[in-house]
Amino acid sequence: MFTDRQPRSFLDPAVLARLAAVPLLARRPMVGTVSGRHASPHRGSSVEFAEYRKYVPGDDLRRLDWRAFGRSDRHYVKEYEADTNLRLCLVLDTSGSMEFTSGGVTKIEYARRICGALGYLASQQGDAVGITCVAGGIVRTLPPRRSPAHLRLVFDVLEEAKPAGPTRLPEVLHEIAETTRQRAVVAIVSDLFCEPETLATAFSHLRFRRHDVAAFHLLDPQELAFQFQRPTRFLDMEGGGAIFADPIDITDRYHRAMEAYLANLRRVVLESAVDYHRVVTDQPYEQVLARFLVGRAAGRGLR
Amino acid sequence: MTFLQPWVLVALPLVALPLIIHLINQRRFQTVRWAAMQFLLAAKALSRGYSRLRHWLIMALRMAAVAAVILAVGRPLSRGWLALAGGGRPDSAIVILDRSPSMQAVATAGGESKLDTGRRQLADSLATLRAGRVLVLSDPAKGPEEVASPAEIVELVSAGPVAAASDLPALLQSGYDFIRENAAGTTELWICSDQRANDWKPDDGAWGGIRDAFAKLPQQVRVQLLSYAAPAPGNVAVRASNVRLETVGRDRRLVVTVAVSRQDDGGRLTLPVKFEIGGISTAVDVELTGREAVLKNHVIPLERSAAARGWGRVSIPADANLADNDFFFAYDAPPPRRSLVVAEDPAAGRVLELVAAIAPDKAVALVDLVPPGGLAAAAWDEAAALFWQGPLPEGRDAELVQAFLGRGGQVVFFAPDRPTTAEFVGCAWSEWTAPAKPATAESWRTDQDLLANTLAGSALPLGDVEIRRSCGLSGDLVPLASLPGGAPLVARASRAEGVTFVATTPAPRDSSLAAEGVVLYALVQRAIDRGLTVLGGARQADAGTATAENARACGTWTRQGGAAASTEAGFHAGVFACGDRLVAVNRPVAEDTALPVADERIDALFRGLSFQRITGTAGDTDSIVQEIWRAFLIAMLLALVAEGLLSLPRPAAADRAAKTSRPLEAAA
Repeated sequence: MFTDRQPRSFLDPAVLARLAAVPLLARRPMVGTVSGRHASPHRGSSVEFAEYRKYVPGDDLRRLDWRAFGRSDRHYVKEYEADTNLRLCLVLDTSGSMEFTSGGVTKIEYARRICGALGYLASQQGDAVGITCVAGGIVRTLPPRRSPAHLRLVFDVLEEAKPAGPTRLPEVLHEIAETTRQRAVVAIVSDLFCEPETLATAFSHLRFRRHDVAAFHLLDPQELAFQFQRPTRFLDMEGGGAIFADPIDITDRYHRAMEAYLANLRRVVLESAVDYHRVVTDQPYEQVLARFLVGRAAGRGLR
Repeated sequence: MTFLQPWVLVALPLVALPLIIHLINQRRFQTVRWAAMQFLLAAKALSRGYSRLRHWLIMALRMAAVAAVILAVGRPLSRGWLALAGGGRPDSAIVILDRSPSMQAVATAGGESKLDTGRRQLADSLATLRAGRVLVLSDPAKGPEEVASPAEIVELVSAGPVAAASDLPALLQSGYDFIRENAAGTTELWICSDQRANDWKPDDGAWGGIRDAFAKLPQQVRVQLLSYAAPAPGNVAVRASNVRLETVGRDRRLVVTVAVSRQDDGGRLTLPVKFEIGGISTAVDVELTGREAVLKNHVIPLERSAAARGWGRVSIPADANLADNDFFFAYDAPPPRRSLVVAEDPAAGRVLELVAAIAPDKAVALVDLVPPGGLAAAAWDEAAALFWQGPLPEGRDAELVQAFLGRGGQVVFFAPDRPTTAEFVGCAWSEWTAPAKPATAESWRTDQDLLANTLAGSALPLGDVEIRRSCGLSGDLVPLASLPGGAPLVARASRAEGVTFVATTPAPRDSSLAAEGVVLYALVQRAIDRGLTVLGGARQADAGTATAENARACGTWTRQGGAAASTEAGFHAGVFACGDRLVAVNRPVAEDTALPVADERIDALFRGLSFQRITGTAGDTDSIVQEIWRAFLIAMLLALVAEGLLSLPRPAAADRAAKTSRPLEAAA
């Protein structure tokens, strides 16, 4: 599939091959357009028995269970679960803060790897993949499509994503919730540097629309540890002002603020049933995705 | 605080080093593009109280650690309770010792006396200070005595206790003379004293001159007073007076008046007062309820075979000060009451002869009326007093009178008919004054001297005496009685002991002294009594410079009892034989009564000089000066440990950082 283009820097075939062993599953039934490997709220023609239903005129006589008729002298129609495909909406935060790195990989690069891998895995199992780049608003968006050519477009968007501007993630999530009519897996890859309360309403909105929301919360190790030795002038990467601070003076309070934020965020994602993953960017993204996929595979069967 | 190496203190500005490093660090800030600004803003908004306090505490501890290191290297010395004073190692240290009996007091029974404690503490301190030269000054006449090492102060004989009072102004003057002539560089004067008023003489006019002299010295002089002013608890002093030998028939008896006194108002105390005379001891209980109890005219019978001349001792049991528990006395058959009368006016001469010839007791009173030209042939050695009415003596006559005064005789000058310009002991007669109406004395001293009240407390009727004319007086005089207008009627010469001037005569044309004879009689007989005290075979003397001079003049000064043999004759209590006389030497009466001079008064005496007072206690085993660099090193270590503890991240913060940095592992 990459024969006509240069290999994408954020895709590692070896990692993708290993991750392909675990399917990407939705945590709730999806409404797809074609047959797939995801549970559907409707009855279908899979091999998995669902229930018996009384025959009503107009039903396909081929579905009539003659054995049941023989035992009970009543007409029952045998129904099976429907398997369908899903829509994977990747929400990539491209605000200025995503460019931060304390020496390793930048958060945007890390996000590209996660998004690229998820998109590839979904596409491989026949699911539709779309992407929305978010900063001060929706920077760029591609609706979910199933074709491999569309996946290439998604990769192009990932590759061209440049971090800039402020974060207005909650507003964009509301917009996505409103505009994505059918159920989808919404995978948010962001540093979530906004108020947890505003995120809570956005997550609730998506949940109300029956979307399966997953969040990859990207944090740089330095953002957690805040280990500075010298007085430092901090320039806001999202265009705000600068702050001068002595680490001796402020580290303790920074940690307290960070701790309060993380606790609030944890409460919000628990209340909103968001599949939340806090990711420190010095961790291998393969490990993060494997944990994500395995966690979902364990919940397979929910309809 | 004093430092042995004060030049190290030049490095004290290094204390600001942590602050400077902090400020430089502040200027060496780095710029970082930062994503998680919302937490920084939140951190800025949070309370900064503890963080800021910790920050400044760490800074203060770092500065304290640097200061402690510098101070420790400077080898600090503690003086007393870390009293603050400048200074370092002195080039010379002069130790001025107050060796008076009051310095023999101890704080606890069997403990070290104030003097011994002071000597030991000074020896230790000066050894620590490593003064270039150490000198001991205990006698102003001898001047400072250099010792090879400070430890010798403890052993030095001339630094030992004496019965004489100290003369601090004279000692300081002697110290000043030595510094001016010998000492170069920084000098420390260490005064070891209990601040008694009779030793310090704070009212002495010499203090001003001494203070100014020290202030003008080119050398830096620091005065350190090692004060042991705390009173000796429960100390009682004993003293005998009015010792006389009486003969009743064939029996002899000794009449003694004994006084026991104390400086605090203790409870009722019964003291066994012990008399030792010729190896025989007797004792009598004296009850002390207030500050003083007097056993008046206590009679001690003597054996018939006992000699008319002898000596004895009165003592009380040991208490907080052993030096005032004994008092020596000597006695002898009373000498004849011989007096000399020199009068140019026969009327006045007759009156004086008559008044001098009537003894107050049964003793024979002899009066020699000496003509003006017969002074050389007069019985000077046997006379107790000289009554002189006429121009002041000059030439050979003056020398004879001076010699008479020198051996303790009393001289009373009455006004001459024709005053001359002659001067005697700094005094001279001037013109006669005859008021229109006879004057009477306006005021006179009733507490002491020749016009004092009687023993019963009655005042002499000097106010009844009419002064018809009076002669003016000039010179160094202390008025004993004054006429209206302030002119002296009776005055004592301040330059010489035993010289009294009366600005009129007993002649009827000049005054009614003869007619109102009581005053004249009391004055004459008291002068004779005073003169008698130095006659006879026994006399009392106060230990001190004057007695020491008499001892030297004596030729043979042999100890009879009391003090151990010493080279400082006249300074120790005891009974001594001076030729054919017995001299009982005791501490001056002021040693028993003088109170400590207030600290403020002492401070005022040294105002303008570098002066420091260190309060000590008798028996105190601590050194007044000791090196305390170890304390500063410990302080530095404590400061560094505290700084380290404060710099450590708090446990809660550390846990938080650990949790937040590895959320996935923490969740797992």
